[in-house]
Amino acid sequence: MKASLRVITILVILSMTLVACGTTSQPATTAANAKVNLTFWWWAESDAPGADAWMAETVAAYEKIHPNVSINIVPQSTETLISAFQSAVTAKSGPDIASQWATGPVLGFVWQNALVPISDYVPASETANWLNTNENMYNGKLWAAPMYLIGIDVMYNKTMFATAGVTPPVSGRWTWDEFMAACAKLKAAGINPWVEGDKDGYGGAWWFANLGIQSLDSTDDLRQAIIGAKSFTDPHYTGWYQTLDDMVKKGYFNQDSMSMDLSQGAQAFAQGKGAMSFGTDGMVKQALTDLGAANVGVMQTPKLGTGKLADAGNATQSTAFFVTKWSKNPQAAADFLVFMHTPDRLAAWYKHTGVIAADKRFDRTLVIDPVLKQMMTWETTGPQIWLENYLPGQVDSDADLTAGQMIFSQSGSPSDVAAMWERAASTWRNQHPDELTNWKNWQQ
Amino acid sequence: MKTNPSRSRLWSLLAAIPKQVILLFFSLVAIYPIYYMIVTAFKTRPDWLHDQFGLPNPFTFQNITDALNKGNIPLWFGNSLIVTIASLIVSTIVSSLAAYALARFHFAGRAFYFNSMIALMVIPPAVLILPLFVLMVNIGLVNTLPSVIIIYSGLLIPFSVYLLVSFFRSLPPELFDAAAIDGCSNLDTFWRITLPLSTPAMVTLIVVNALFVWNELFIALVFLQGETVMTLMPGLTLFKGHFTINEPLIMAGTLIATMPMILLYLFGQRLFVEGLVAGAVK
Amino acid sequence: MPQTITKTKTTFRKIEPYLYLAPATILIILVFVYPIIENIHTSFLQNTASGIKTLGLTNYTLVSQDPIFWQSLSNNGKLLFSVPIMTVISLFIAIVLFEHVRGWMFYRFIIFMPYILAIPVVGQTFVYLLGLNGIINTLLRDVGLNLLTQDWLGSAKWVIPSISVVIIYREMGFGVVLFLARLMSLEKEILEAAAIDGANFWQKHFYVTLPQMSGVIEFFVVVELITMLSWVFAYVFTMTGGGPGFASTVMEFYIWKHAFAFRSPGIASALAVVLLLVTTVLIVLQLRLRRRSLEDIA
Repeated sequence: MKASLRVITILVILSMTLVACGTTSQPATTAANAKVNLTFWWWAESDAPGADAWMAETVAAYEKIHPNVSINIVPQSTETLISAFQSAVTAKSGPDIASQWATGPVLGFVWQNALVPISDYVPASETANWLNTNENMYNGKLWAAPMYLIGIDVMYNKTMFATAGVTPPVSGRWTWDEFMAACAKLKAAGINPWVEGDKDGYGGAWWFANLGIQSLDSTDDLRQAIIGAKSFTDPHYTGWYQTLDDMVKKGYFNQDSMSMDLSQGAQAFAQGKGAMSFGTDGMVKQALTDLGAANVGVMQTPKLGTGKLADAGNATQSTAFFVTKWSKNPQAAADFLVFMHTPDRLAAWYKHTGVIAADKRFDRTLVIDPVLKQMMTWETTGPQIWLENYLPGQVDSDADLTAGQMIFSQSGSPSDVAAMWERAASTWRNQHPDELTNWKNWQQ
Repeated sequence: MKTNPSRSRLWSLLAAIPKQVILLFFSLVAIYPIYYMIVTAFKTRPDWLHDQFGLPNPFTFQNITDALNKGNIPLWFGNSLIVTIASLIVSTIVSSLAAYALARFHFAGRAFYFNSMIALMVIPPAVLILPLFVLMVNIGLVNTLPSVIIIYSGLLIPFSVYLLVSFFRSLPPELFDAAAIDGCSNLDTFWRITLPLSTPAMVTLIVVNALFVWNELFIALVFLQGETVMTLMPGLTLFKGHFTINEPLIMAGTLIATMPMILLYLFGQRLFVEGLVAGAVK
Repeated sequence: MPQTITKTKTTFRKIEPYLYLAPATILIILVFVYPIIENIHTSFLQNTASGIKTLGLTNYTLVSQDPIFWQSLSNNGKLLFSVPIMTVISLFIAIVLFEHVRGWMFYRFIIFMPYILAIPVVGQTFVYLLGLNGIINTLLRDVGLNLLTQDWLGSAKWVIPSISVVIIYREMGFGVVLFLARLMSLEKEILEAAAIDGANFWQKHFYVTLPQMSGVIEFFVVVELITMLSWVFAYVFTMTGGGPGFASTVMEFYIWKHAFAFRSPGIASALAVVLLLVTTVLIVLQLRLRRRSLEDIA
């Protein structure tokens, strides 16, 4: 009799120890003026290969200057970037500093009260040097810091152009007719005009941000459709999918676009599998290495639409870095973000990644290659809007990404796609009336 | 009635040929993807691009080395090991006690309990994850190994109990009667008679359960989101994301991830087979 | 004194079995009962414009109006078609193995191996095999069947059948092992008598073997049906991410998206409850089958 009770007691204690182990294994929080431990959930490597190495260097440098600060970098995955941080927000615990894609995603978390404004911890004299801060402004405060700027332009293979008798645009930008004529010539010469990967959906999203944007007059224009004041089925918003569909039907895209991820598509361009593709600075840099510096050129997206945004640039900081509400050391966290922007760190960033830093103090002379220089000029001149940032995450995922996939896999017509956009938006509106309120009140 | 012996011999030999062909066909189909994975893991990328079919030329260990050095595969391997062993210990102890009660006692609710076990065996994990996630967040265990250990232990109980009850009931009642006459308490009987006799069933159960935990993706993905606490299967997704364009490297990673189970299978195939069959309808 | 001791002993005797059950019961309640009840509860909590949750049926209404929900359900439904196929293939292989083929243990060893591989491992390998320039298409081109090449995982029409092929590839081993075990416990005399009576391969097995295996076949079918509804997340997550578009989004995947990517716990819970209800019918069936085969222990 006693033996059974003993066994049961042991088991109960065992399970309780398991639970206790779990709770005590969480990182120790700081004691006063002793060690400061910061956890930084970091994402940038996918956008800018070399970023992880730069960050390791930066942390080492910072810890040398501030021996009482210890920074733990936790790289995030693209697939779970949002959901992982959402878990932290639900738990009200997690990293001190985190990364999220700018504007839509960041503000989504601002509205959940998960961030402290970076402008509360960094003086305006410093933030004035940061570029593209408009992407994370809300209620007069700046909520997150940029690190780099990515623009996306059309990279083209000069040799293939020459073979097909295509002349690149003189002013940096084709009209749409010129672009279509070029595609036809390339195809006639047996060259695949455009190579791209859309298996993960981002390829289609890039077309939205580069082509779809051209019919709009402002980001607020888009917001009207998101909040339901206008409909996405209006050709103003989705008419351009017809043009994309035509291109697919004419065979201007590679056949295996649905078998390749975005990065694999860019790689395919660098391997000479197509005459043109969209490319970030990093992808263009890779192509220059693989195909030869004399062989690659860049041009801006051909002009189709006539909205006010048709001439806007598309550079974005892509990822924004912010301090969390529950951090026990917000000032220390903000200080590290400021350290990332010191001139030595900015130069090192460019050396590691080839992506320009989002700071006025970044030494532009470091960019030597004329092609990359050209991209940089486009990315830092005039208004810059990456339209995908101005969608709620659910609409981006359920409409933007899937729309491209439907067109590329030819499993839906442009009108199917337009209807899907509207359905995704109205589903989001119905399922998240509280988020809708925030979007309605957001003055852009 | 008796046919000519040599004719029937010839006939059965001839009849055997199409059978061998059929089985060979299915075996090739079954083994081909495994062959592909192994072979790709040892190729250089240019070689793979050039020839996806054939054997590696040149044969290279670089991918395996890279897979072990870049990314966090060894760390994830360790986590998987910890989670698997811990879940197995907890679930086996807990299930054998419960199964003993169900098999050897008569009490109210016995049939209901046993039937519940059978029903719970196939509950969709998707139904459990969100509330469990919120619970883990509330007790502070989210993103820690104990969270998945607790969950896996729970998930393994229905099948383990079911299997062990069937086995315990197959033990000769005379043994227990004899023990009772000798004055053994129930717990003594459990420790000294039932458990030792059940070693084959336990081993089988442990092997089948280990397979489930090691290979599991969904729950690990949800509860272990920090890169340092991940187990192998969600880790592979991260690994794939980092090295998308290096297919042989990814195959090397998957090969390493699945090696323990393949080795276990090579040496203990019988256990897997018996375990899965024992859990099924006779 | 003696009386009290006997009383304590009897009381203990009464509760003893429950003590043995206690640890398991605690875990079961924690891991199964609590989440299911909580899911049902959350499914009735709806979002309002102010952010405060109220009780109501809105989540279910939204779910029923959501075309992607219906598509997910239909995708799971399409996967169900793979069950008869894998059953027939497994039966066929098992029977052939059973017929005293030389080296049968070797074949069983090979054919069962895919079942022990993790789904992410199998899925990732097949992503390469099924790519537009993967082995399958290359083979088709080599034998001149260019017309049949497809972007198997990238085409809305072929993605579910392709995933079905991968599922069958893995589950086939389980079926073979299961059916073979049953076959080996059958009475051999009946089969031999049929053979002597002149029955050929097909007649023999169709009229004699299969009827005797009805129990295990039923069981396999029900378990696999449940699997197609509730245990295929890993395939979709590894191979297609639900795409292209929503062509391969299944219920589990959609629940995961709503729970973790879209911050819609109410919707996710409603979806989960629907999935549970749909699966319950099959769960009850499975329960009946297993009980029938065991000695009555009530």
